[in-house]
Amino acid sequence: MARSPVGRRTGGEFASYNYQPAPYGGPATYEPDLSPADAIGTRREVAKPADDHQPQQRADKSRVDEWMEVTFKFGGSRIKRKAVALILLGIPAVAPLFFMLPALVTLNNNTFSVSVDDTLGTGAELCLFLCLLVTPLVTLTGQRWFVGLRRWYGIMMACCGIGDATAAGITDTFAGGVFGRLAGHVFELVGFTMVLLVIPLLLTGNPWAQRKLGKYWKRLHWLTYVIWGLLAFHLMLLEGLGFQSGSNGSGFPGDGDPIFHQRFYQYSACSLFLLTLRLPPVKRWIAARQKEGRNWLVWVTIAPIFALFIFAFIFIINEEVFKGIDSFRETPSAE
Amino acid sequence: MSHTYAAPGRDDTAAGRVILMIISPLAAILVIAGLIYATGAAGRHAAAALAAGCEPALFISGLPCTTQQMLVSQYDGLVNPAARLLEADTAAYTASEGHNLIAAEAALTAEVATEQAFDTSLAAVTFTPQNRARALALITTAASNGTAVPIAAVTFTPQLTVIANAVIRADQALATLTAQQARAATLTRMRSYNRRVNLAATAVQTELTLLRKAIEAPLSDG
Repeated sequence: MARSPVGRRTGGEFASYNYQPAPYGGPATYEPDLSPADAIGTRREVAKPADDHQPQQRADKSRVDEWMEVTFKFGGSRIKRKAVALILLGIPAVAPLFFMLPALVTLNNNTFSVSVDDTLGTGAELCLFLCLLVTPLVTLTGQRWFVGLRRWYGIMMACCGIGDATAAGITDTFAGGVFGRLAGHVFELVGFTMVLLVIPLLLTGNPWAQRKLGKYWKRLHWLTYVIWGLLAFHLMLLEGLGFQSGSNGSGFPGDGDPIFHQRFYQYSACSLFLLTLRLPPVKRWIAARQKEGRNWLVWVTIAPIFALFIFAFIFIINEEVFKGIDSFRETPSAE
Repeated sequence: MSHTYAAPGRDDTAAGRVILMIISPLAAILVIAGLIYATGAAGRHAAAALAAGCEPALFISGLPCTTQQMLVSQYDGLVNPAARLLEADTAAYTASEGHNLIAAEAALTAEVATEQAFDTSLAAVTFTPQNRARALALITTAASNGTAVPIAAVTFTPQLTVIANAVIRADQALATLTAQQARAATLTRMRSYNRRVNLAATAVQTELTLLRKAIEAPLSDG
């Protein structure tokens, strides 16, 4: 498996979208960010750039990567700035599991039964989006110091998803035994399928598996996109196909906000940004503008899509925090 | 694949530009519409809560709401049985106060027990952190199971709790006075408490009427 340098411009070579090594030397590609063809195409792109068309923005961003590589002294040892930043950005991904910890310690069946799907399910969704967010941010900023988070968020997504399914299989109130609780309804079946798909990703989300699987590793990890797609069906079926009808939808009577609280709408708004920034024509357009030194145009164009992502993402975070704190206090709230 | 530099002069980023020209304004419109829609969230929620007969003070987003009808049922469930017991106890006392000290004392002791039990029941549905947590657990379990919210999950609103606490205080005063009356050594001494007990009972009745009126008051959108 060929590896190319981290996305920094050195001696006229620039391969920011090729297969990337992670911080600390480990593979960071929990998600297949680009197809091999894209990578080849990018190599062609960089074959003939005129020196006077150097992407200034990328050079600037490379300085951010350099800045992140700088170490500082802390408690007698030297720590990279990047390590601190990655830890700070990575810690929130543990929150969903942390929220369920008291219920696990006290074996509180009621808390698991009522709110594990909201706390861990929403947590898994958040981690998936954060995992998928890394590639668009690399595309936009040219920075790569945070690429290692992709694997971390992916692992946490898998842990939340598996934890959700395990708890649901034991404590849920649907009829039909364990299988009925996991796959008794279509939305559950879709969710269970996602969990089954995430298991091989979790097992192979490490350097050893990456080396062993070679070129098949990336193909295997395209399953992330399958999970992303299945999540749309899962959420759509969960809440009345996106339409509020009585209590079948995002809220009970009196809620008054069936649109903002519809998980499928939140998913769609977030996915628009994540999907758009993955489209090869869009990436080519961004690369071309960046090479022209008109990165401001990229930001202006992308800003509304990113704002929509943030807008919806805030509602998902709100849901996670609201339900998570209730779960942590073992006074669970369901929907 | 990109041929930006492979084919000079030819713009192969047009497709990307078109995609972004469609998606970006669409996203901008959605964000602006979302922000405008968000400004009316409080009003929409209040109107929806009102339409569903939900008590705004007890409403929790994403959960089945507590309706005014549920509060009335809760009130009736607490007050009516206690009132019937008290009526029986009072009748027993009235029948024996003239000639049977033991029977009158037993009737008053039963009355005290009824009043204390009523205070305990009323205190259990006031708006306290413990009561709300218990109620919330019942509501969420019902929501999770898809069943109706049980009446045990109903607590008073903070406003109703203020009046309910006044009821409890008045009833505790009545119970204390009734207990003193029950301990009287003679029937004459026992009857001497009657006027004060009646005044205390009237105070309880007044507070209960206020509570009932507050529960049945039309819901506001606040």
